[in-house]
Amino acid sequence: MQPPGPGWWLGTDNLGRSVLPRVMEGVGTTLLLSSIAVLVTAVLSAAFGILAGYRGGYLNELVMRLVEVLYSFPAIVLAILVAAVLGPGQTAALASIVLVTIPLMTRLVRAAAVAVAQRDYVTSAVISGARLPRVLVRHVLPNVAGTIAVQGTYALSVGIAVEGGLSFLGFGVQPPQASLGVLIQQGGTYMIAAPWLILGPGVVLVAAILAINVVGDGLRDRLEPRETRSLT
Amino acid sequence: MRLLMWWSGRALSSAATLLGVSVLIFAAVRLMPGGFAETVLGPFATPEQKAELAARYGLDQPVFVQYGHWLAAVAGGDFGFSMISRQPVGAELLARLPITAELTVLAVAASVLLGVPLGVLTAVRARPTGGGAAGRLLSGLGVSVPEFVLGSLVVFVFSRYALGLQVGSWVPLTRDPAANLATMILPAAVLSVFSISVTARTTRDAVMGVLVEPYVTAAVGRGESPWSIVRHHILRNAATPVVTLIGTTTAYLLGGALIVEHVFNLPGVGSYIVQAVGRRDYAVVQAGVLLAAGVFIVMNVLIDLLVGAIDPRLGVMAGRRA
Repeated sequence: MQPPGPGWWLGTDNLGRSVLPRVMEGVGTTLLLSSIAVLVTAVLSAAFGILAGYRGGYLNELVMRLVEVLYSFPAIVLAILVAAVLGPGQTAALASIVLVTIPLMTRLVRAAAVAVAQRDYVTSAVISGARLPRVLVRHVLPNVAGTIAVQGTYALSVGIAVEGGLSFLGFGVQPPQASLGVLIQQGGTYMIAAPWLILGPGVVLVAAILAINVVGDGLRDRLEPRETRSLT
Repeated sequence: MRLLMWWSGRALSSAATLLGVSVLIFAAVRLMPGGFAETVLGPFATPEQKAELAARYGLDQPVFVQYGHWLAAVAGGDFGFSMISRQPVGAELLARLPITAELTVLAVAASVLLGVPLGVLTAVRARPTGGGAAGRLLSGLGVSVPEFVLGSLVVFVFSRYALGLQVGSWVPLTRDPAANLATMILPAAVLSVFSISVTARTTRDAVMGVLVEPYVTAAVGRGESPWSIVRHHILRNAATPVVTLIGTTTAYLLGGALIVEHVFNLPGVGSYIVQAVGRRDYAVVQAGVLLAAGVFIVMNVLIDLLVGAIDPRLGVMAGRRA
């Protein structure tokens, strides 16, 4: 284990591997997993949120109940439950991120869809004979897209944190594959002798989450008027 | 009367959610790999032995009957036995709960005592330079640092350099309160960084929303001191979102406590759940997860009560949570 030096900018680990390429691979794994999961969340939340918000009635009740149930679990607890069912691994990490991020996004998309459903342009589209799919895709979706974009950005930073936490506990991505959570977990073993093992991936993880949150704040200021904001 | 109706509706809806949570957990445990019979009898059990065991524990009955039995047992406080230690799970959870509760209470206290003043201060001095910007940057950083990263770093710093506080050990509150606090202060600090930052941000947004109200301008016009304006006109009006947030944050803290207990090696509910998942001790996972979700749901009802007491207008607006 070497401290950071000219040939190995972030030091080397207990097997003599340079930490920098490991961190780069880890960022790739973490970002890929989180992005795929957030895409799944976005599609599902958009579909269910828009339908529930526009149609109301029993469908709305059902969707909101399910969302409420999922929302009752602290994020990492839900992630652990998923990992216990699916077994530790990438699939568990991906499914956890989806289940953790879906309740809030569905709620907010639905709230936005409820507001849009009462607008005149939707009424006039319905009166002029537009069918349901057309109304939803052409008129409602574009007007809740801002909410989806903002929440998707925040969901990405939540996803990175969930993957990190789950892998850190040993239930997410499995070594030798690198993810930021795995690297921090493994670095913890040799922390006293080689603090750079957790400093490198730790700083990268925090920087990634911070950067995505800043983008989210910027998007929110641009796309969502202040009154429609939720306090999160 | 309308208020009473609203409360009973709220309680009913929470009960329905809790029921949904229990169904989900029950289903999840059923889906976990490794059947009960295989776990208890080992891989070489005969089909007859398995059938006998299934009959003894009611596993040959329809799933919804099993669910009913389980629910009745849980409602009576019986969470079953740990497959590893063969001890009742309920007693173990009860013994560990005070540690998690202490950790969470300390973190919530820190959020209120530090987060709220910070938020008010950055809102009242909302100029883009100096303190305001520094506060925003700090709170932005605070919400971006996961507990496992910060926790690992704190453990490293305090175990490498002798800074007076022990990490990795724990002293019961009943034996020595001062020593207990000394072992809890670092985990609680790590846990509270996120909630302090979120509280500060939300307080800032809420206070800035109130600052533009005419009654604040009127108070300034009357020549009231800034402190008096904050105390009499701003705090109460900005309290609702902050109190609601603290309820939501508590749920987050329960999850965070799990990681923090794992990192700092504290014998709380969270580390119990983590160990149980690692050892496939499903009765413990089931009970622990149910407990976490149940506490969150109850917390939310309490927060609604509190918000209703702070701002009576909200209690009547039944559609608020729609």
